[in-house]
Amino acid sequence: MSEKKTFKTAARMKEIMQEYYAKGAAAKEKRIPVAWVTAIFPVELLYAAGIFPYYPENFGALASARKVADKLSRYAEAKGYAHDLCGYARCGIGDAYAEEHPVGEILKPDVTFCCNTQCGSLSKWFEVASRFYNVPYFLLDAPQILDQPEELATGYYVDQLKEMIAFLEEITGKPFDYDRLLEVLHLSNETCRLWNEILDTAAMKPAPFGFFDACFHMAPIVTMRGTREAVEYYQALKEEVDERIKEGKYAIPNERFKIYFDHIPLWPKLRWFSELFASHNSLVAVSQYTHSWAYSFDLERPLESLAENYTEEFVNRSFEHRLQLKMNFFRKYGVDGFVLFSNRSCKPTSLGLYDKRSVLSERTGLPGVVFDADMSDLRFFSEAQILARLEPFFEQLASSQ
Amino acid sequence: MSIEVLEVLKKTFADPGRQVKEWKQDTGGKAIGFLLTEVPEELIHAAGFFPFGICGGRARLEQAEAHLQSWACSYVRKGLAMAINGELDFLDGIIVPLTCDSTRLLPGIWKHNKPLPYMDSYRLPKQVERPSAKKYLFKELERIKYNLSAYRGKEITDEELKQSIRLYNSNRGLLRKLYNIHEHNPEAISNKDLYTVLGASMVIEREKLNRYLSELVATLEEQTKPPAGKKKTKLYISGTFINPPEVLDYLDESGGTVVGDDLKNGYRYIQDDVEEAGISPLESLVNRQLKKKPFAGYDVPSAPRRYNLVKASQQKKAQGVLFLHLKYCEPENYDYYDNLQALEQAGIPSMRIETEFGDTSLGQLQTRIHAFMEMVGGESNV
Ligand code: SF4
Repeated sequence: MSEKKTFKTAARMKEIMQEYYAKGAAAKEKRIPVAWVTAIFPVELLYAAGIFPYYPENFGALASARKVADKLSRYAEAKGYAHDLCGYARCGIGDAYAEEHPVGEILKPDVTFCCNTQCGSLSKWFEVASRFYNVPYFLLDAPQILDQPEELATGYYVDQLKEMIAFLEEITGKPFDYDRLLEVLHLSNETCRLWNEILDTAAMKPAPFGFFDACFHMAPIVTMRGTREAVEYYQALKEEVDERIKEGKYAIPNERFKIYFDHIPLWPKLRWFSELFASHNSLVAVSQYTHSWAYSFDLERPLESLAENYTEEFVNRSFEHRLQLKMNFFRKYGVDGFVLFSNRSCKPTSLGLYDKRSVLSERTGLPGVVFDADMSDLRFFSEAQILARLEPFFEQLASSQ
Repeated sequence: MSIEVLEVLKKTFADPGRQVKEWKQDTGGKAIGFLLTEVPEELIHAAGFFPFGICGGRARLEQAEAHLQSWACSYVRKGLAMAINGELDFLDGIIVPLTCDSTRLLPGIWKHNKPLPYMDSYRLPKQVERPSAKKYLFKELERIKYNLSAYRGKEITDEELKQSIRLYNSNRGLLRKLYNIHEHNPEAISNKDLYTVLGASMVIEREKLNRYLSELVATLEEQTKPPAGKKKTKLYISGTFINPPEVLDYLDESGGTVVGDDLKNGYRYIQDDVEEAGISPLESLVNRQLKKKPFAGYDVPSAPRRYNLVKASQQKKAQGVLFLHLKYCEPENYDYYDNLQALEQAGIPSMRIETEFGDTSLGQLQTRIHAFMEMVGGESNV
């Protein structure tokens, strides 16, 4: 991926991720509890409590990007876990039983925290992990928002945050530090603000930054929001993107079309996809996925605000609401077409896409396509099948102008 | 032995939509469907609607193909296919329990393709041991009660709800009696007939059901002679659904008898009654849900599912456990290995079979079940 090399910040990424993993290892030695958490989780509470948060999904994405997901998965499959479960879960469970650790060993938890806003796979996976490692499991239960957000669901979530705080006090043996929480929330706000400012530059034509860049640069927003390092990282990236704008450096050489992409990328084929789109002068500009981390916490009402932000994610919303969100992105980024990835690993982002493809085209007049594959596992990847879907789409795009 | 009411229930099961259609014609009432498991049907009944349990039908899975990926479980695909092919046209509404990601996504897809006047979801809590769960669930059931009331245009009264609870408790009690008769004397009612009655109980007018079940249980209690002939091999079934029903034939013919299960269209459907006295009926419904045994939808740290499975199998003196899983049912699959480990530690043999609604190779299924029966029960069974 050409853009990956040209961002100077990329080198810094490697460093801060290494530092992050080193901190995890050191936490074990210093007896700082290591908590497994999920990507959409009020991690701010853990930082405030001085607990080290570790993201097994990130481990899964890493294994997928390094093309070893199938290898790890086979260890899970040997125990009876099906190859159609979430690829991240298969990597995590597989690694627990594996004799080889091609991306290093997953960090063993002292406790697992799960929020099911995203999916039911995580809660089942974390239940499995809590049994395997014999550690407590704490679920933040986020009922689906049926229509509009309701006090019923957010109130329930706030009650659970209070229960979680009591649980954290038990683990750490210390009273919960609410002042520290406000600091952490402030840092999260800053990180999210910077991240979204960067993402927004993809709306410029031509744009200095696109979805594949976002995939490369997203690890800190997922795993480190709430820390100063994350703020500094995105400050540096933002500066660099601004420089690019001044210098007229763009994400792809001849941007003609902007594409919306749902949702998670095919990690082991990131480069292949980015080159494919670039070769058709198409910039994948936006995806609901990378835009998930767009939190804005109200420091006056921290718990309520955490509850709202973490339960109202797109993935926990209704069919119609999710259509609206997509169309908002279409407008905001001025997209010319959309590509929907029906991802075997991830039912909550994939079920419904078949119908949404036609609805979106009907409502917006834009060309769109849906294809099937798996975000981690190349056993479900067929280049020929995907091209058979995408080539006609690119032709449609070209003829629409 | 042919018992008249049993024949009626068998017919009901064979054509699940017949009774509800007749009832609608006779009464002008409305029917609300529900998916399994956990939906508090008592609320539907209290509103005067016909509660209709959706659990398989004639529609081919291909009829849902354009809307749901083939790797969504066949239970939700079948439900959607039935809606699309018109097989559920008698329904005025539906309540979907959000037990997993597939059920969570289904209502939107259903609504898009086949909108019904009344559509709701039941968002059961996935943690049940902390105080927040109870407070939340009360409000969630209040919400459903409010929506049902609004749909019929009149509030559901406590008295109505209490009456429905009494009727449902009575039905469940009778079904458990039936289950018990089967457990202790499989000659009295076969595996196949037992689950047929359970299946029928979800698609029949509940008042009628009560009369039929009373008669059936009384007749069986009277007629039943002590078991004759060879002893049967006792099995516990764990998983999602009894599906396809032929599984039961294969057990019947190989000398197996089901002594317990944790299935959605099995014992889980009749296990828990609702307290009738004291507190408000809605609170009783809350308590029933919270005290239910964990299933694949969520585990309960203080009383994990795998140990319940071992305990139940041991209590029932099951000689083996048959895992009957629905292909692509993620929650069930996540639980499997740990369930298996717990059984192995307890020395209980098991076998897992994966089936799909409407797409299972019966010959192979029969062979595998016979082989398993032979293994756990000895050769005399086959
Ligand atoms: S990829 Fe999908 S199923 Fe897997 S953890 Fe993420 S949201 Fe859940």
